[in-house]
Amino acid sequence: MMQYKPLLIVAALALAGCAATQDVKRTQEPAAAAFQLPSYEKVTLDNGLTVFLMQQKEVPLITVNAVVRAGAVNDTSAGISALTAEGLMLGSAGKSKRDIENQVDFLGASLSAEAGKEGSYISAKFMAKDLDTMLPLFADVLLRPDFDATEFDKLKQREVGGLIQAKESPRAVVGNYFGKLVYGEHPYGNASGGNSESVAALTLPQIRAFYTGFYQPGNTSISVVGDFDVADMKAQLKRTFGEWRSDAAPQQQSLKQGLPVLEKSRVLLVDKPDAMETTFLIGGMGISEDNPDAVGLTVVNTILGGRFTSWLNDELRVNAGLTYGARSGFASYRDSGLFQISTFTKTDTTEAAIDLALKTYARLWEQGIDQATLDSAKAYVKGQFPPKFETSGQLAGLLSDMYLYGFDNSYINDFERKVDSLTLEETQRLINTYFPKDKLQFVLIGNAAKVAPIAVKYGEVTQVNIKDVGFGG
Amino acid sequence: MKRTLSALALAMGLAMAPMMSQATTAADIKSFTLDNGMKIMVLEDASIPNANMYLFWKVGSRNEAPGLTGISHFFEHMMFNGSKKYGPKMFDRTMEAAGGANNAYTTENLTVYTDWFPASGLETIFDLEADRIADLDINADMVESERGVVTSERSTGLENSNIRALMEELKGVAFRAHPYSWPVIGHESDIAAWTLDDLVQYHKTYYAPNNAVVVIAGDVKLAEVKSLANKYFAPIPAQAPPREVKTVEPLQKGERRTFIHKPSASTPNVMMAYHVPATSHEDYYALELLAGILSAGNSSRLYQSMVDSQLALEADTYFPMSFDPNLFYLYAVGAPGVKADALEQELIAQTNRIAAEGVTEQELEKIKNIKLMDFYRTMETINGKANTLGTYELFFGSFDKLFNAPEAYNKVSTADIQRVAQTYLKRANRSVAVLSAEEEMDK
Repeated sequence: MMQYKPLLIVAALALAGCAATQDVKRTQEPAAAAFQLPSYEKVTLDNGLTVFLMQQKEVPLITVNAVVRAGAVNDTSAGISALTAEGLMLGSAGKSKRDIENQVDFLGASLSAEAGKEGSYISAKFMAKDLDTMLPLFADVLLRPDFDATEFDKLKQREVGGLIQAKESPRAVVGNYFGKLVYGEHPYGNASGGNSESVAALTLPQIRAFYTGFYQPGNTSISVVGDFDVADMKAQLKRTFGEWRSDAAPQQQSLKQGLPVLEKSRVLLVDKPDAMETTFLIGGMGISEDNPDAVGLTVVNTILGGRFTSWLNDELRVNAGLTYGARSGFASYRDSGLFQISTFTKTDTTEAAIDLALKTYARLWEQGIDQATLDSAKAYVKGQFPPKFETSGQLAGLLSDMYLYGFDNSYINDFERKVDSLTLEETQRLINTYFPKDKLQFVLIGNAAKVAPIAVKYGEVTQVNIKDVGFGG
Repeated sequence: MKRTLSALALAMGLAMAPMMSQATTAADIKSFTLDNGMKIMVLEDASIPNANMYLFWKVGSRNEAPGLTGISHFFEHMMFNGSKKYGPKMFDRTMEAAGGANNAYTTENLTVYTDWFPASGLETIFDLEADRIADLDINADMVESERGVVTSERSTGLENSNIRALMEELKGVAFRAHPYSWPVIGHESDIAAWTLDDLVQYHKTYYAPNNAVVVIAGDVKLAEVKSLANKYFAPIPAQAPPREVKTVEPLQKGERRTFIHKPSASTPNVMMAYHVPATSHEDYYALELLAGILSAGNSSRLYQSMVDSQLALEADTYFPMSFDPNLFYLYAVGAPGVKADALEQELIAQTNRIAAEGVTEQELEKIKNIKLMDFYRTMETINGKANTLGTYELFFGSFDKLFNAPEAYNKVSTADIQRVAQTYLKRANRSVAVLSAEEEMDK
């Protein structure tokens, strides 16, 4: 069993648009090195399908990823995007779920599908020698799902059980509560999995309609990274996916409309009567994926709560011993985003931990950043960059994100230059522009009988029980 | 015994062919041992401009005693809290300013420190590690603050993971003599109790260079590593070897049980464990393949019989590497409305079925392919390479065994799988832990 030192709420706090690539041109002078995206080919087929091909030969493996522009933000019923994606695995082109699983496992391969906030992802990883088996299977799953009724009912039951069970772990659901608190009825408030009642009510005709509406070549990219011959692979992809036809264009609503304006501080208190500790998030609106200041904000957030020696972790964990970890981060979407501070502490130190988090956060404005800290954060962000894009799976994921969020090579290739050019003066502008200073939003999951008297200090309180349906469960 | 040439062997044959020349082989690993007994392994790999250092210390909860449980893990935390040259907080600050990050983990057997950094930071990392190995300064105020951190780590683990709560209780009944009995994080009262002197003694005993294996992988050169190792690590004196762990767990003579009442549990969870030999034992590979046949992928026996049949939301196995004889775990999380007893009976039925009927050649070949794929996935990153090389060096006595693993797996037959199931996965050798909102009632 592993006992990590700073085990933090990472999943809830994916940093905004951090991305880099393998450096293939490192020189003798590390300071002069710049990360460059390894060369790849991007092709748009006649049917509108976007294809990325990137060769990586370190191990004899291939990753194939597809991303469809359809996620929880497109949910007509809560959880439909997630169930549609998972439904792809229930059998296709006459092969049963079990046939597919047997075939994939026998090759030591993996094949999976899931939906997130804005995209649905199908991913396969296999040995290069198995390409001729795995690529057609991947295409069957994506293009010819059977949506078998018996398997669909079983999947629904498992999903409902999983959603209820997730609420046993505050860490697993706190991000869903926060998204709903901030976005309310706006689609960005939709939890990716839906909730136990909405999922139970979904029907096969609804799933089929969602599939037909969104799973189209003009709404999809396929990224292939690994040990293959590019010309052969391109020809094979054209043969395999070239006949896929689009119907009516997918209905993508603009998500820039109706975004919330946070007018006062609010607290969502989630009662878990047997909780030993309080798990909490504090924050507000962040930035969208295409924000030109995203790299600079990554550096500033590193100082506030993005690394072990960050202000938040230093104060709450190292100096005060109140928690095992405290951090902050931006979670960015295509047209909006969140900023969150996250930590946890035993029930009777809840107030001390929240107050210390707020006091530490206020240092951004009261004290600002000094040159030595900025220099350290810049070195850290650059130094930790290349390993994020080392495997074929990581690189295929990056290419999928480039399609989904519409950024290009410069986003990657200019990263280091943007980090280097950040000045102290600029950090102050970023702080004043982007970090929510007041009207903060709080989610507290814990023992409400003990925490409620504290919660009122921070804003208008709404209390729910963790077992209540909704908020991603 | 029949030996078949499986897809695994074919694929490994391919791995040796010129077209796969970029894959790491045993010949790429260089190693040397300093006069103070510290072994250092180096893998030059320039695929990214980064490197890592993994320090494996032969100390874990296995080396503890009642009253001092959890001290290995607590000590892991103290290694970050200040030494002679780099005072309090300066280890992390210096490393991060050089572009590096770090972490550490403690297990029943080992404490492992991981440093990840741009290759330009190599000397800084040597300097930092040498300082805390040779001259750790254990400060009383730091100890008190860190007790709070570890207490939070303990409670947040239990708050968020039923599996963690189950494993803690299950180990406690499965072992009554051997130190594997207690959780790695330790008992709560012990966390509150250890003294400064306990910690000073622990450092001197276990953090001696002769008790470590160091692995460095990435964009480095062997000559550079050798030179830095001689400058920074070689001057640290060796110590007398630590006391050996001599306790042998007495043979279990009948099933043991434990129960956790958790009112907020939405469905019951069941975990069971069987005593099995140490990783160095010849049956390791057969047991590892058996674990895979039971739980790897959706075509596995537990998925098919429990998850696909709507009995469980999850069903899995856990079979850790271990210096001393340890446990082979199975667990399941119930689907809504399913009783703990139904989960338990199905887990038992599946293990008994393998003992009675064996497994198919097809299943065995499948799991060998899965193992080969795991090997390649590990070899995709410098961190995977470093962690796995060190792990094999310690648990199998030599990193060579990593590269021999495909062959060792290939030698395992269906009869071997059935034999280990019959030998170890039997009732008298079993301990069962149940977590549920419903109290078990007297019958």
